[in-house]
Amino acid sequence: MKAKPLGSYSDSKRFAYRINKQENRADLKRVQFSPDDDQETSSGAVIALPKKKFYRQRAHSNPFSDHQLEYPESPDAMDWAELYPAYVDGATGKMTQEVTIADIGCGFGGLMVDLSPEFPKDLILGMEIRVQVTNYVEDRIIALRNNNLGSTEHNYQNINVLRANAMKFLPNFFKRGQLSKMFFCFPDPHFKQRKHKARIITNTLLSEYAYVLREGGTVYTITDVEDLHHWMVKHLTEHPLFERLDGEWEAQDKCVSIMRNATEEGKKVERKRGDKFVACFKRLPSPQLS
Amino acid sequence: MALIHPVQSVVGFNGGEIVYVVVKNMIVMYRVLYGDYQMVGQWVDEHIDTVSPLSKKPAKKSKNNAGNAVEKTSAKGGPVIPSNIRAVTVFDSGKKLAACTDSDKAVVIFEVDLNGVENCLKLVKRQPFPKRPNAITIDEDGKTLLMADKFGDVYSMSIDSEVTDAINEESSPILGHVSMLTDIKFVKGTNDKKYLITADRDEHIKISHYPESYVVSKWLFGHKEFVCNVSIPAWKPKWLASAGGDDSVLLWNWMKGVKIGEFNYKELITPYLSDLHLAAARFQNANNDSIEYAVAKIVALPHIPYLAFFVEATNLLVILKVSQDGELSQAQTIELPFNVIALCEDENKLLVALDNRSSNNRDFVELISFDENTQKFAIESTESRSINSAISFSLVDNHVAITEVDSIYPLYNTISLKKHGEHFS
Repeated sequence: MKAKPLGSYSDSKRFAYRINKQENRADLKRVQFSPDDDQETSSGAVIALPKKKFYRQRAHSNPFSDHQLEYPESPDAMDWAELYPAYVDGATGKMTQEVTIADIGCGFGGLMVDLSPEFPKDLILGMEIRVQVTNYVEDRIIALRNNNLGSTEHNYQNINVLRANAMKFLPNFFKRGQLSKMFFCFPDPHFKQRKHKARIITNTLLSEYAYVLREGGTVYTITDVEDLHHWMVKHLTEHPLFERLDGEWEAQDKCVSIMRNATEEGKKVERKRGDKFVACFKRLPSPQLS
Repeated sequence: MALIHPVQSVVGFNGGEIVYVVVKNMIVMYRVLYGDYQMVGQWVDEHIDTVSPLSKKPAKKSKNNAGNAVEKTSAKGGPVIPSNIRAVTVFDSGKKLAACTDSDKAVVIFEVDLNGVENCLKLVKRQPFPKRPNAITIDEDGKTLLMADKFGDVYSMSIDSEVTDAINEESSPILGHVSMLTDIKFVKGTNDKKYLITADRDEHIKISHYPESYVVSKWLFGHKEFVCNVSIPAWKPKWLASAGGDDSVLLWNWMKGVKIGEFNYKELITPYLSDLHLAAARFQNANNDSIEYAVAKIVALPHIPYLAFFVEATNLLVILKVSQDGELSQAQTIELPFNVIALCEDENKLLVALDNRSSNNRDFVELISFDENTQKFAIESTESRSINSAISFSLVDNHVAITEVDSIYPLYNTISLKKHGEHFS
């Protein structure tokens, strides 16, 4: 069944909430909050964090279907300044930094929010295919940026989210070797055998991830589905451009512990006392080519 | 009224000495013997699913209002899928032929008797695949075939080996897109390294190394609509022409990853557009005048700096001249008697197949050749007449080729690749 556009539920509370947030988002998405601004929105008023219950959507999205997506024609055509206004060089209008960390299928953005203060020098991008979930993360980042305006510690300028189909259009966003870390947290398991191509880790897609990842960069995976864990480990191990990192490395890496504990799915699994399976891989140098 | 089914695809070899045509689920081979074309081979894909996939489903149980079980009958059972043959490819100096069949999603390989006068096509291998094959290319050693399917995967297959049953378990795809693949080309770069070039429905042209196909070299970014095919000129193997749903055809230096030429054909083609180009009903606008068109095929001539292409459901063949720097300019246009269905290059010739439904079994195929003196392309009327009478003569009693007007296979499929962003969430 096709999801109905927003307008079809025009009598609901959720509809009113979404409209209100949508207007805010349109206004605030591109705003660079700074403490000395005398804009209405940045005059110290606290923006409430968004409520998940108003952003409900079916948990799955078909990565093969023909969605209405926005994506740049090539990485050079991407306007990152809109997403990270604090990293624009005032004189040249160019970005002072590139995105180096990507959270593929970022969901409600918990991982990014926790990674943000840990990697203040990196730009972190979340990619999510579900519209409402992306809207939630946008609203969350708007609120976090606004509410931490005067903060000397951290102001969340280095994270943002995009609605995108990473399985199709990742190379439209990132250049070769641009990323240093890629996260795949609690991906859709796609249990049926005939749906396996829809999984986010496949041997053919790994070649594209290897392209955007720099040599020595890291792929992080975590899931609560043991079968999927074995599938991801098998495909990553078999791929000539990836090598598994051992348990010792996992134990000392701060991203692994954030990934275990920060994401919404991770917390849910914790509540249900489920297992969490982690596997991390290093991008190897490309071989001699014939 | 019964007629001979139009030719869906045409492939020439050795400057038109041998011509292969696809008619429905049949490949027919013609050869010049004693100055005239004669049929020297044919192969019919007997693997026909007359039962459509929909009607194969077991009938679901349901109850009527009185509570009695109702046996569901699927009398119509959905549309019967035409069993087309695609991607006919000649290789091994003409001694072998490969193609894809829709019926059982297989790649078929033939040995060709180049000196025979009868039954020159011998099927030597039929390898089914999990998803429908859409394009094929051959490795330089002639021993490996690379197949791109509609699900986005590329499989490698040894030409001489036995057929394997479980392609899924024994061999996994060597590379893939998350999009329908429309074309694949094996090519050797000017650095002597080997590459695979794949094009898909999402504007992407991907260049991977080969056989290390897990190492992506680059993408060629520039198309805004689907790419329907790519062609590499033999006289400049580092260049590549591509076309599809865009208003322009593009020329690339694929080794550097840069676009070097572009030709916008919108104005040129507008007078040739017809009702056939109106968008499908569900994508139509309020005024019912939304028009959609696409290039169905672009080919680069192997020895001379020309490209040829046609827009689906038009009768115009456009020929572009390629300058030393890769700039594209219109050299010539040729109006054909009917709409073009298929196009291929063969030495300094072009072969076109026409939608000749209303021709009374004439004008299936035209041969167009390049005249060195005038530097122009022109229809070879004698040769064309010869091949057309050979087709007409050999197929007029053929039960596969004879068809009713309303059961002709869909001939204009390319535009259905266009994306419309139908899915909302």
